[in-house]
Amino acid sequence: MKTKPLSQDPGSKRYAYRVNKEENRKELKHVKIDENSVAQKNGKLDLPKKKFYRQRAHSNPFSDHQLDYPASPDEMDWSKLYPHFYDQETGKMAKQVTIADIGCGFGGLMVDLSPEFPDELILGMEIRVQVTNYVEDRIIALRSNHAKEEGYQNINVLRGNAMKFLPNFFHKGQLSKMFFCFPDPHFKQRKHKARIITNTLLSEYAYVLKEGGVVYTITDVEDLHHWMVKHLEEHPLFERLSESWENEDKCVSIMRNATEEGKKVERKRGDKFVACFRRVQTPEII
Amino acid sequence: MSSYPLQCSVSNSDGTLLFLVVKSTILAFKQQKGEFEQAGRWTDTLFETDSQQDGVKKLKSNKGEAVKKADSPAVGSAFSLQIRNLTLTPDESKLIACADSDKSVLVFEIDYNNPECLKLVKRQPFPKRPNAIAIGDDGDTIAIADKFGDVHQMSISGQVLASGEESQPILGHVSMLTDIIMAKDSAGHRFVITSDRDEHIKISHYPQCFIVDKWLFGHKQFISSMCCPSWNSSLLFSAGGDDSIYAWDWKKGTQLSQFNYSGLIKPYLTNAHLAAERFQNDEKDVIEYAVSKVVSSSNAHCVAFFVEATKCIVLLDVCPETGSLTLMEIIEFPSNVVSLSEANDEFIVTLDTHSSGNGRLVEFVTREADTGLFKVNIPKCQTFEKALAAALKNENQVGSNATDLYPLYNTISLKKHGEHYS
Ligand SMILES: C[S@@+](CC[C@H](N)C(=O)[O-])C[C@H]1O[C@@H](n2cnc3c(N)ncnc32)[C@H](O)[C@@H]1O
Repeated sequence: MKTKPLSQDPGSKRYAYRVNKEENRKELKHVKIDENSVAQKNGKLDLPKKKFYRQRAHSNPFSDHQLDYPASPDEMDWSKLYPHFYDQETGKMAKQVTIADIGCGFGGLMVDLSPEFPDELILGMEIRVQVTNYVEDRIIALRSNHAKEEGYQNINVLRGNAMKFLPNFFHKGQLSKMFFCFPDPHFKQRKHKARIITNTLLSEYAYVLKEGGVVYTITDVEDLHHWMVKHLEEHPLFERLSESWENEDKCVSIMRNATEEGKKVERKRGDKFVACFRRVQTPEII
Repeated sequence: MSSYPLQCSVSNSDGTLLFLVVKSTILAFKQQKGEFEQAGRWTDTLFETDSQQDGVKKLKSNKGEAVKKADSPAVGSAFSLQIRNLTLTPDESKLIACADSDKSVLVFEIDYNNPECLKLVKRQPFPKRPNAIAIGDDGDTIAIADKFGDVHQMSISGQVLASGEESQPILGHVSMLTDIIMAKDSAGHRFVITSDRDEHIKISHYPQCFIVDKWLFGHKQFISSMCCPSWNSSLLFSAGGDDSIYAWDWKKGTQLSQFNYSGLIKPYLTNAHLAAERFQNDEKDVIEYAVSKVVSSSNAHCVAFFVEATKCIVLLDVCPETGSLTLMEIIEFPSNVVSLSEANDEFIVTLDTHSSGNGRLVEFVTREADTGLFKVNIPKCQTFEKALAAALKNENQVGSNATDLYPLYNTISLKKHGEHYS
């Protein structure tokens, strides 16, 4: 007889942990966490433990997942993700998302970007359910533990397939920065179309990026680095930023060290290849 | 014995030349003084050397993980190999088609005076199967939308490219493409409009396809078919798995109206519309249906569509100013509709006579000048049927059994059921 995976076996520790966290998440995911709401509960919230959120490493971006996404950017309710930036009186968001971390994994980049860009909303998009749950739980804990200084109110995560549904979330020219940190390499030739940077997808990224916006890429796979650089250089709407620009940009140094994947590479003393591109002005339509 | 249905048709604008596909053969007919005669025939012989068995095997080996899809008739699969997407160039000098056998685009010169009017002048294979094609206003550029989401372009007059030499895609979706239109606005700017198996309609500039103009949001289900009427350059109609036909001002990016057809189509649904076992509920009464094709009339302000595996086409009146859609007529047939095309305010409908056991294979639905209403043109149907019967006598009729007919009814397989939970 086949045994159930641990995550589905009601006797397992992982199962119990997941159920507990899920209840907590359901309760807190969309509420405004502030000093008052936290004061009623006592004690600090533990940060979630990654080992309980394990999931297969790869998710096929072509497949037809059970996903939730708005029918159009106008129908997206951002107030639930960033309640502190929702104006009760006008019923409108005071800010819109301008920074996106595509395939954010466990969310380390957002956690470090949050205090650097207190006035900008940052969104992580991640296709794997358990990993997204982890990031949600992490943000709930961070918001609760930093309620006094209203920390981490400007970051959140969405489960979604960024290769298919980005335009459902963002208007034309809405984003100023897009991060692609340690994307899945899809080594085999015939899997290259599954890569998150291709010349056809870049046109969609260029659509959601404003003119002057920046695409950040970092990887430890040299071949993938060359692939991304080649495709971005070939694309008429992107232009490479210089090494000296990279050295001065604070996001580049955060991106090198903040993400979980980046830390793993650091421990193994692997190389990290960085390339940043500016979204140039849209040329005159012929 | 019933003949294998004709899978698609196209006619020139004055209705004097008609092309139809039966399996891997294109048949051409000429109309003179009210009589039809066969004007040509072309068969894809690659189908014969590469038997269907081999075709399926080939699908397996070069798609790797997609093996399951090729094996079981799942998502829009090319289970049986065909010729598709018959299209005439704007000057009607060439016929374009796609062959499943080697996933190629075929270009035929039409010589109206030759008894065999079709001459194959170009055969360009592509790495992925073309799902839909559109011809640009220069009459030479073809945009080809494939099953894997990419759009390639080729020039009708250019050299055949060897495998590996193919161009980069000019644009793409991460989803199966279902239809493509090359359009022009009133200022003369050109665009490519593409629809996919997710709910997206994307509008890109042409030839600057790297600049996305906009998306048209509103569909909740896959899109199977789109059309732009020649009488209003900013109107677009689209349909698929949703209960409504959508009308858009694609230039402004606004939805103009929706026409909900779910009520009127109910009487035409049959057991064939019950969802597959694995998508059923306890009562076993889940039905699934989808629009296969929507086409506009050349001059009359009207669009026609049909729902897969039903015995009717539905005609809608379009208000050319507001784009609002109202029911005009439902035209019933003895058998299921297989394909729908239009030329000069006449709809050409091909039927699956297996679903009824009798009747004509092709029906012409013509607009009456005095009433403006559309009617089956019985005399025309009868004369054409005679010419068709004579032509089909020579066709190989093997294997027109039920499983062979499967690919005629695969629009609904585009429906997403959210198979992947993780
Ligand atoms: C190697 S991980 C890197 C994670 C994180 N950026 C980091 O540096 O630690 C790549 C992540 O991208 C996610 N991903 C892959 N394709 C995606 C897609 N189409 N949309 C959203 N996320 C995706 C994967 O699930 C995975 O978590």
